[in-house]
Amino acid sequence: MRKKITVAVTGNPNVGKTTILNHAARANLSVGNWPGVTVERKEGLTAHKGYEIHLVDLPGIYTLDPISEDEKIAHNFLSDGDPDVVLDVIETANAERDLLLTLELLEFGKPMVIALNMIDEAERHGVAVNTFHMSEVLDIPVVKTNGKTGDGVDKLLDAIVDVYENQKVPKPIKYNDRFEDALAQVSEQIRNGSINKHTLIDFLSKSEKGKAQRIALEKFYKKNITTIIKDERYSFANGFFAETFKKKNSTARDITDRIDKVILHPIYGFFIFLAAMFLLFKISFDFSNPLMEWTEGFINNFLSPVVAMALTKAGATEWMLKFFSEAVVGGVGFVITFVPLIGTIYFLLALLEMSGYMPRIAFLMDRFMHKLGLHGKGMIPLLLGFGCNVPAIMATRTLENRRDKLLVIAMIPFMSCPARLIVFSFFAVLFFSNPAIVIFSLYVLGILIGLMTAFFLRKTAFKGRLSHFVMELPPYRVPSLITVVRIVWAQIKNFLYRAGTLIFAASVVIWILLNIPPGIKNPSQSAAAYIGKSITPIFKPIGIKDWRISTSLIPAFLAREIVLSSMGTIYSANVEIEKKNFHVVNELKGQAINLIFAVKESLLSLLKPGINTLKADTGDVNLRNVIKGSFTPASALSFMIFLLLYTSCLATVAVMAREAGKWVALIFLAYSFAIAWVVAFIVYNVGMTL
Amino acid sequence: MQNRNRFRHKFGQGTSSDSVKTLNDLQVGEVAQITGFSNHNEILLKIEAMGLRPGRKIKVLQRLGRGILVSTSMSRIVITSDVARSIEVKCEKRSQ
Repeated sequence: MRKKITVAVTGNPNVGKTTILNHAARANLSVGNWPGVTVERKEGLTAHKGYEIHLVDLPGIYTLDPISEDEKIAHNFLSDGDPDVVLDVIETANAERDLLLTLELLEFGKPMVIALNMIDEAERHGVAVNTFHMSEVLDIPVVKTNGKTGDGVDKLLDAIVDVYENQKVPKPIKYNDRFEDALAQVSEQIRNGSINKHTLIDFLSKSEKGKAQRIALEKFYKKNITTIIKDERYSFANGFFAETFKKKNSTARDITDRIDKVILHPIYGFFIFLAAMFLLFKISFDFSNPLMEWTEGFINNFLSPVVAMALTKAGATEWMLKFFSEAVVGGVGFVITFVPLIGTIYFLLALLEMSGYMPRIAFLMDRFMHKLGLHGKGMIPLLLGFGCNVPAIMATRTLENRRDKLLVIAMIPFMSCPARLIVFSFFAVLFFSNPAIVIFSLYVLGILIGLMTAFFLRKTAFKGRLSHFVMELPPYRVPSLITVVRIVWAQIKNFLYRAGTLIFAASVVIWILLNIPPGIKNPSQSAAAYIGKSITPIFKPIGIKDWRISTSLIPAFLAREIVLSSMGTIYSANVEIEKKNFHVVNELKGQAINLIFAVKESLLSLLKPGINTLKADTGDVNLRNVIKGSFTPASALSFMIFLLLYTSCLATVAVMAREAGKWVALIFLAYSFAIAWVVAFIVYNVGMTL
Repeated sequence: MQNRNRFRHKFGQGTSSDSVKTLNDLQVGEVAQITGFSNHNEILLKIEAMGLRPGRKIKVLQRLGRGILVSTSMSRIVITSDVARSIEVKCEKRSQ
C-alpha cells in the first residue's frame, strides 16, 4: 500500500489553483457538482514517487482571519484538518498582495511549498523574481509553474514529496523584538511547546492569557492589537517583496482594461450580458439536440437489442428480459440520453467562470439586484442554478451576510435546471405547437416566483439593510480547454453515477411495485397503482387524474428527471417491445454514420439564429403516444408548472438543510409544494375555460 | 448629479478642496493615493488584504450603481460606496 500525503492547496482567489490541481491529478479529479467555482472542497489524487498525493483545494482567500465562510473553511482545515504539506499558490504578477497569505501560512510552521504560478503572465508584465533568494530566506522550495501548459507541476510534486520525507519546515518568521518578546511571554503562560506562531498570535490578540501582553503592546504603540499585528505582517511581507521581486516598466498594454471598457459599460454591458445569456441557452439547446437524439437512438436501437440478444443467448428468462427492457432501458437509458445537454450547459458555465466574465456579471447586475434588495454577488449562484441547484446553493457561501445568503437560497430552487428541462422538453413538444415559447415562459415563471419569494421574505423575515460588497475582478484569461473538459467530464461522471445508482434504484423499486403482487396481468392491479391512486385526490384539482402520473411523482422526489423514467417504467409495462433480428456489425456502422451526421448538425445549428430546438417531434414514439392519452394541454402545462416550482429534488433539499438549516429546508419544501400547487391550480382552471 | 460633478472636475474645481476626500468622491478616470481608513471595520481588513492599502495608488475604472471598480497595481477590485466612504484618499491627477 502506498503512503498517502495530504496536501492543502491554498492561495488567493483566481490564482490558478484549480488548473494546477487539474494538471497534477489529471483524470483523478473530483470537483463536486459545479463548474469552476471554488467554494466547496475539490480534491485530486495522483501517484508520484511511490506516494499517493491527495490534493485538497481550499477556497480562495486573501487572509486567514476568518470573516467569511470561505476563510473559516480554509482556516479550520489548516488548523484541524492536519494536512501533511501546505502548497501555497501565488499569482506571480500579484505577489505583493499574495504574500500576506503566504506569511500567515508560514506561521503555521508546517512543511510547505510555494508555486509561483502564471509565471508567463508575470514575465509579460515585466515582473522578475529571485526564486533562489526566496527559497533561501524562507527555507522552502519555490517552483515556477504555468497553469496553462502544466509546466513545473512535476517539479512541484517532487518538492512536495521532498519536504514531506524530510519533514522540512520553513525557517521561523521573526517579527520585531518587542512583538516577539510579547509572543514568548504568552507562550510561557500557555506552556505548550508545540504551539504554532499563528495560534500564538491568536492568543495574544483574543485570549485572556495574552491580556497583559496585549495591553502592554497597545499602550506602547498607541494602536489597537489588530492594527499592531497587521502592521507587523505587512511590514514583513512588503520588505520581503522588495527584496525578491523586481518590476520593470513593461510595454505590454493591458487588454483587460480595454475589454472592460465595453463589457462593463453601463449600457452596452447590459446588452452584452443579455446576448451572452441568450447564447448560453441557444447553444445549450441547439448544439445538444442532435446528439441527444443520437444517444437515444443508440440506446434504443442498438445497445438495448444487442444486450437483449446476448441475454437470450445466455439463457435469460422472460422475466429477466422484461426487467432489462422496462427497468434498465426504460428507466436509466432514458435519463442517459440527456448527457449531451447537461455536458453542454456545464461546459458553457465553466467557460464563463474561467474566462473571468462570471464575477463581472455580479458587478454589472448589482445595480438591478440592489433595487430588488438583493446582492450583486447573488447573481452568480442564481445563474449557476440554471445549471444545477445544488452547487448554486453551495456557491452562496461567497455571500458573507446570512440575510443576503438566505434570500438567494430561497430563490435558487425556482431557477429551472436541466433536470426540469428534460421533463419540459418532453411534454412541451408533445402538447404544444410552439414548445420553445412554452419552455421559455416556464423559465420566466420560475424567475418571477423566485423574485416574489425574495420580495415577500424581505418584507417579513429578512428586513434590514443590504450588506456591502467587495470582490476582485480577475483579468480576462483564455480558459484552458483541457481543464474545462476535465471539469465537465467530472460533472458528467457524477451525473452518470447518479443515473447508475439513485435513478436505477428508483426504477427498480417502481418496477417491483408495478409487478407485485406476483402474477398480476394488468399494472392497474399492482401495489404501485394502489399508492398512486390513494394520492390522486391531492392532484386532481390541478388536472392530474391518472394514477400512473401521481405514482411517478413519488420517486421523482429523488430527482425530477426520474418522473420520466418512472413513467417509462410504468407505461412500458403496457407497450410491447419489438423484436427484430439484426446484424450487430452493420448496425454499429449505421450508428457511427448517424453520429457523424449528428455532430455535423450540432455544429451547423450554432450558425442559425434563434433557438431552433424543440420544433420537431422525434424520439421515443411509443412512450410519447401512450403518455399523450393521459394529458390535455391544460393538464400538461399544470403538471410542468408543478414540477418547476415544487422542490422535487432530494439533493437540493439536503444541501439546503446543510447551508441554511434543517427547519429552513423543511419549511421551504412545504412552501414550494404549496406555491406549486396553487399556481398549477390557477393555470389549469384558466386553461380549461379557454 | 453625477454629470454635474464630472463637469466640475473637468474644470479643475472640487479637486483642490482641503477637506478629506474619500474613495467614494472619485470619478471615473481619477487617480489617487490611499491615505488611511476612517474606521476599523472588519471589511476594511479584508480590503487591505486584497491590496487596497494605505500608500497604494489607485485608479477608478468604472462606477455602476453603488459599485466602484478600482485598480491597484495588478488587481481590479469592486467595492460598494458605503465601504468606499471609509477609505480616505489624496487625489493625484486625472487621466483617461
